[in-house]
Amino acid sequence: MRVGFPHFGNVYIPVKAMTRRLGAADGEVIIPPPITQRTLDLGVKYSPQEACLPYKLTLGSLIEACELGADTLIQARGTGICRLGYYAKGQEQMLQDLGYNAHFLTLDVSHNKFISIMRLIRDMSNNIPWREIIPAFFFGIGKLFALDKIEKVVQKVRAVEVEKGTASRIYREAINAVDEATESKEVKEITKEYIHKVIQVPKDPVADPLKVGIVGEIYVVIEPFANMDIEVELGKLGIEVERTMTLSRWIKYSLFLNYLGVDEWREVHKLAGPYIDHDIGGDGWESVGEKVLYAHEGFDGVIHLAPFTCMPEIVAENIMTSTKEDIPVLAVTCDEQQSKQGMLTHLEAFVDLIGFRRRKREHGRRV
Amino acid sequence: MKGYLGVDVGSVTTKLALLDENEQLIASIYLRTQGNPVNMVKQGLREIQKQISPEVEISGVATTGSGRYLAGVLVGADLVKNEITTHAVAAMQHISDVQTIFEIGGQDSKIIIIRDGVVIDFGMNSVCAAGTGSFLEHQAERLNVKIEDFGGHALRSENPARIAGRCTVFAESDMIHKQQLGYPLDDIIYGLCQSLIRNYLNNVALGKQIQPRLVFQGGVAFNKGIIRAFNEVFDSEVYVPPHNELMGAIGAAILVHEEMEIKQNHHKSNFKGFGVSDVEFKTSSFICKACPNLCEISQISGNGKVLARWGGRCDMWERVPES
Repeated sequence: MRVGFPHFGNVYIPVKAMTRRLGAADGEVIIPPPITQRTLDLGVKYSPQEACLPYKLTLGSLIEACELGADTLIQARGTGICRLGYYAKGQEQMLQDLGYNAHFLTLDVSHNKFISIMRLIRDMSNNIPWREIIPAFFFGIGKLFALDKIEKVVQKVRAVEVEKGTASRIYREAINAVDEATESKEVKEITKEYIHKVIQVPKDPVADPLKVGIVGEIYVVIEPFANMDIEVELGKLGIEVERTMTLSRWIKYSLFLNYLGVDEWREVHKLAGPYIDHDIGGDGWESVGEKVLYAHEGFDGVIHLAPFTCMPEIVAENIMTSTKEDIPVLAVTCDEQQSKQGMLTHLEAFVDLIGFRRRKREHGRRV
Repeated sequence: MKGYLGVDVGSVTTKLALLDENEQLIASIYLRTQGNPVNMVKQGLREIQKQISPEVEISGVATTGSGRYLAGVLVGADLVKNEITTHAVAAMQHISDVQTIFEIGGQDSKIIIIRDGVVIDFGMNSVCAAGTGSFLEHQAERLNVKIEDFGGHALRSENPARIAGRCTVFAESDMIHKQQLGYPLDDIIYGLCQSLIRNYLNNVALGKQIQPRLVFQGGVAFNKGIIRAFNEVFDSEVYVPPHNELMGAIGAAILVHEEMEIKQNHHKSNFKGFGVSDVEFKTSSFICKACPNLCEISQISGNGKVLARWGGRCDMWERVPES
C-alpha cells in the first residue's frame, strides 16, 4: 500500500512523524510536493469550474501524490457540512477517469472523529497493535501543537519587526526543525528555542500595531497558498494577526475534549446567537460569532476569508454586514481567478481604513 | 515655495497634480497612459515643470493608481498609496459632508462609504470591464461617436433602449441588435449609460449603504449621460467636484503633504527631480524557474541598473541588488 493525501497546512508533518515512528518503509507513505501553481493548475483543469478552491487544491495535490505512485488516498468525508461531504466521491471519480486506480480511505469529520481517525491509521498500518499506534499518534500531533504555538508568536512579531520577513524566515526554519525531530523531548526543546528566537527579533519599540482577526472557511484560513499568504502580507503592512482556527485546536477539541462535553465554539455560537442560532454548514456560524467576538475584544478589524461559491460563507458574509457590533470587515474571496495585486490593493485600503478609524477615535483626527 | 506632487498612474490615463503648502492646486496634467506608464510619467513631469515657476521646490511626492509601484520607483516617491485611500482623502478634503463616493475610472470602479469623516466601507471591482470607462469608450468607437460627444447624445434621449449590461460581450451583442432594429442613436447611447450604472450598482455597490451627499469622481464623471443615469436612480443629486479626474492625484499629494509636514517628518523628499524625464528606463519580465510556481517577475531598470522587481509569490526577487 502506498498512501497519499492532500496538503493542508502543516498536516504532512504529523503524518510523516507517525509513519516513521511506526516503521513504515520508504514509499509506503507518499507526501506530495508542496502546493504550487502547478498543483492549482492541475486541480482547476480537472475540477468542475464552479467547484470551490479547497476542492481544486486538494484534487491537484492528490493528482501529484498519484504521480509519485500513491495507490491509496486519504480524504475527508462527512454529513451536513458542505460540499466537503462530496469531495472524496468526486475526486475518486476524476482520478479514475485520469487512469489512476487509487483506493480512497475517508476520514469522517462530522461524527466520532477520534474513532474514525484511529480506524484509518489501523487500516493503513497492517494491524500494528494499538499500544504502538497511540504513542506514535501523540508524537505526531505534538509537532502540530508545537508549530501552532510558534506561529502565534510569529503573527505578533511580523507586525513590528524592523526587518520585514525575519520572523517568517525563522518560522520556516522552525517548521523544518520540528519536522526533523525524532523525539517528543526534542520537539519541546525546539519549540522553546524558536519561540525565543522569534521574540529576540529586533522590533520597532514605539509600534502600536493594528490588530486584525481572521475568520472564515477552515481550509482557506489555514493553507497559506489558498489565501495568498495573507498573514505574511498583513505583517508587512504592520498588522498583528490573530486567528482562532488552527489545526491543533481542531485536534484538541474534535478528537478529545468534545467527547468530554466541552464545546470549543460554545462562546462563539452564543455571540452569534442574536443573528443566527444554528449551523448553516461549513464554518459559517462560527465566522459570524467570531466577528462579534473580535469586536468585543477591541480588535481594529476582521478579515473574512471564503472560497468563491462557498455557500455557508456567503450566508455568513451577508449576516455579518447587519450585526450591530461595529467593526470593519473585509471579505476576501479565494479562488484561482483572484490576482494577488488586486488582493493587496484591497488589503492596503482596508489597513488605511482601520488606521484612520483608530486615530479618529483616539485623537479625533485622521492623521 | 513648497510643492507637493501626486502622481496617479491608471490603466487608461495618467494624472499629475501639484499642490502648494495650503493644498491649493497649482499645476496639473491629464494624459492617456497608452499602455506606456513610464513614458507618460516622464512626459507628465515635463508638462508640470513647464507650468510652474522655478521657485517651487518639490517637498514631497506620492504615487497612486494601479501603476503606483512602478511610478514610485520612477519619481522617487515618499509615499505609495492605494487609489481607494487617495480618492477618499481628496473627496473628504473638498466636500466636507460627503458620505458616498462613486469613482469610475478607465478599468476599474469603486465605491467608498464615509461617515463622520472616516472611511467605513469600500468596494472595488478590479477585473470586470463592464462597469468602467473603457467599456463606454469601446462602444462609442463602435457607434462612431466621439467619447466627448457621448454625454450630449445621452441627454437628448427620450426612450432609452434597454441594454443588457452584465457583461460587455452581451452588452455589445444586445446593442448591435437594437441598432439593427433601428433604435435612434441617442436612445442606444443613453441605454448604454443606464446599463453601466445598473451593472455598477448591482456589482461593486451591492449591499453598501448609499447615503447623500453623493460624490461622483474619476474620468467617467465627465460623461453627462452617466450623471443623468445616476440621478434617475437616487433621490438626491450626484455631485461632481471640479477636477474630478484628478482626485486620485490630489489625494496622493494631500497625503504626502501630511506625511512630510504635519507629522513633522523632517526628511528630505526622495523626489528624483524633473530631470528623471531624461533617464532611460526599461521594463522587462521573466519567468522565475526556482520552483513549480513559475512566477512572472517584472523589473524596471534605469540607465542599465535594476531598480525594482515585483510579482513573485515569495520574496526571493523582492530585494534589489545593491550597487
